[in-house]
Amino acid sequence: MGRKGRFVAALAALALVASVAASAAFGARAHRLDPGVTSTTIKIGGTFPLTGVASLYKVIPAAESAYFAYINAHGGVNGRKIDFTVLDDAYDPSKTVPLTQQLVEQDGIFADFGSLGTAPNLSIWGYLNQHKVPQVLIATGDSYWGFSAKKYPWTIGYQPDYPGEGKVYGKYIAANTPNAKIGVLYQNDAFGKNYFAGLRVGLGAKKGQIVASQSYDPTQTSLVQQILALKSAGADTLVIFALPSQAITAMVTATKVGWSPQIFLGNVSANPIFLQIAAQNGANVNGVISTGYLIDALNASQANLPGIKLMKSIISTYAPSLVPSMNGGDANVPYGLGAAWTFVYALQHAGKTPTRAGLMNALKSMHNVKDPFLYPGITLNTSAKDNFPTEQEILTKWSGGATGDFTAFGKLYNGVR
Amino acid sequence: MKRGLAGYVAVAACAVFFALLPFTLSDYHRGIAAQVALYLIAILGLNVLVGYTGQISIGHSAFMAIGGYTTALMSHYHHTNLVATLPLAFAITFVCGVLLGLPALRLSGVYLALATFALAVSVPQLPLKFSKFTGGSAGISANRIVGNTWLYEVAWSAAAVAFVFTWLLLRGRIGRAFRAVRDSEVAATSSGVTLAIYKTLAFGVSAALAGVAGSLFVLATNGFAQPNEFSVTLSLKILIGAAVAGLGSLWGVVIGAAFIALLPTISASAPLIGSTHGQDVVFGAFVILVMLLLPNGVAGLLLRLSRLRARA
Repeated sequence: MGRKGRFVAALAALALVASVAASAAFGARAHRLDPGVTSTTIKIGGTFPLTGVASLYKVIPAAESAYFAYINAHGGVNGRKIDFTVLDDAYDPSKTVPLTQQLVEQDGIFADFGSLGTAPNLSIWGYLNQHKVPQVLIATGDSYWGFSAKKYPWTIGYQPDYPGEGKVYGKYIAANTPNAKIGVLYQNDAFGKNYFAGLRVGLGAKKGQIVASQSYDPTQTSLVQQILALKSAGADTLVIFALPSQAITAMVTATKVGWSPQIFLGNVSANPIFLQIAAQNGANVNGVISTGYLIDALNASQANLPGIKLMKSIISTYAPSLVPSMNGGDANVPYGLGAAWTFVYALQHAGKTPTRAGLMNALKSMHNVKDPFLYPGITLNTSAKDNFPTEQEILTKWSGGATGDFTAFGKLYNGVR
Repeated sequence: MKRGLAGYVAVAACAVFFALLPFTLSDYHRGIAAQVALYLIAILGLNVLVGYTGQISIGHSAFMAIGGYTTALMSHYHHTNLVATLPLAFAITFVCGVLLGLPALRLSGVYLALATFALAVSVPQLPLKFSKFTGGSAGISANRIVGNTWLYEVAWSAAAVAFVFTWLLLRGRIGRAFRAVRDSEVAATSSGVTLAIYKTLAFGVSAALAGVAGSLFVLATNGFAQPNEFSVTLSLKILIGAAVAGLGSLWGVVIGAAFIALLPTISASAPLIGSTHGQDVVFGAFVILVMLLLPNGVAGLLLRLSRLRARA
């Protein structure tokens, strides 16, 4: 190392020491109100896939914004208006992280509300809990959120979880078609595997009836090989735990290869708009069984429910661009409204001047709370030991082909988790 | 002598600037400034390979993935000190880079680009294959989340070390050999430069720096490593940063890193274009502008300025 080299090295060392010293100068400031709360507003935010592979879900934050606009127009919560910031992470955790830091550190949100996707939420899970920022009513059905409440007390989900739903199908098959020969198609990741694990638990002693299982990777577009393998294994029942585009492909492919098994379809892909697309592409979707927990705008028998009426009035006033989605039966609309309803409910029970701790406490002490956007009879229940808000589902069956809808049948399943 | 003095002043100014910067920044902006440092390290690495040795790589996201997973896995399973995982990532990705350098000896131009592209596509699949160990698509977390001030200090210290390391490496015999390989392999060989050694060494050093950048990248994403974070677009981002910086020069690298780290953040909060599409359009437009106005990047601009001054 020459003279010049030593000089550069010395400068680098100097820079290092100076920046270490710099850090000591910064300290925390005390707040009288919790971050994000003023006398007139409550600032919240979330990350959603407004663009990219999962952008079909962008309807959810739009419906949530509509519900908050409706609440604000009616005086807000204890005189405070809700200011909801929606940021686009394109379902990419490496974008979720800086955007969430921006929400917490730059915008100073009170809570991260409704952020969508398992991997995006996992990437900010530790961070939000370390900063004691509520990560609430997040749009993912994995069971981590429910089972890890002790280690991550600032996180709570909303919808029924995937393994629990898998169990429902297992129980139904074991009780009604115990001799079914079951073929399973699942996504090769935590989401698909957790669903599959739930199915096996639900089948109990009948899990030997699974004659074949096939997985696919999230980027795969053709499922011919998997469908043919399941068909040739002699399966007469097909259980699909897939994201929407692959679920549609699977149902279309099964019909095209001349196979008509009884299909069970995981709830994430059982939005009516997806089955209509599958039917338009030649799939025989009549008789497909899934589960539901939300109200359904397409279903004539629900037309008089207060939740349906409220949904129609809110969407047509505050988010007219969502009217076609709502009338097409898009389940993302009642989903968004329901999550936003639950948030407002919790805020109302978080004290006159809401605190973060008060919000979590309200969300973890719900007893038979009637969210109007949930299927009649389903209520929200949580406790210090129970971090799963929605634990009831109803089985549904599709009829009417390309212009059809799901109709509920049987009794409500309780204890879904 | 005069030129040397200007160099000292520039280094001193940079060092003082980055040492004092955290005093003026909010916690949030310290986090973003740390991102600049990590991209700086990655671009430095790519510059060694592309700018100085004339080899192309669009596979550096793969090395960043290896470095990032090294940090996340070591911290998750062995509670290794996070700072200690950086040299570990350096060592592991150095070996990986040398291994990639071996087939690269027989490839050049577009074929080498394709081979490195294949690496960028295939490496993020590995965590999916070994999901029991790596968490699969659900990702895996380091056992501790670092604050933005910590991140700033560590990232800029690492950047300073990487900068000095690269500078020392390139100013001497090795740097001369790299440049000779770039300018003419035949001439280099006939002057006694063993191609195999220097090409694989360039790959190793370049990959090692990318690995360190990957470690910091994971630390900057709350210690969370997940395959999607290391897509081929990350490689392209670094390549764009290197092109903006100007190939074959070290001084433009800071600007190149600032360009890729800051522009999306700044354009996100700009009126009218504050969406992902808007950001991408602005980013693309700036890249085209830079290529039109500064075909040799910021380094080319600096060179032109110094020539102008010499003439005056």
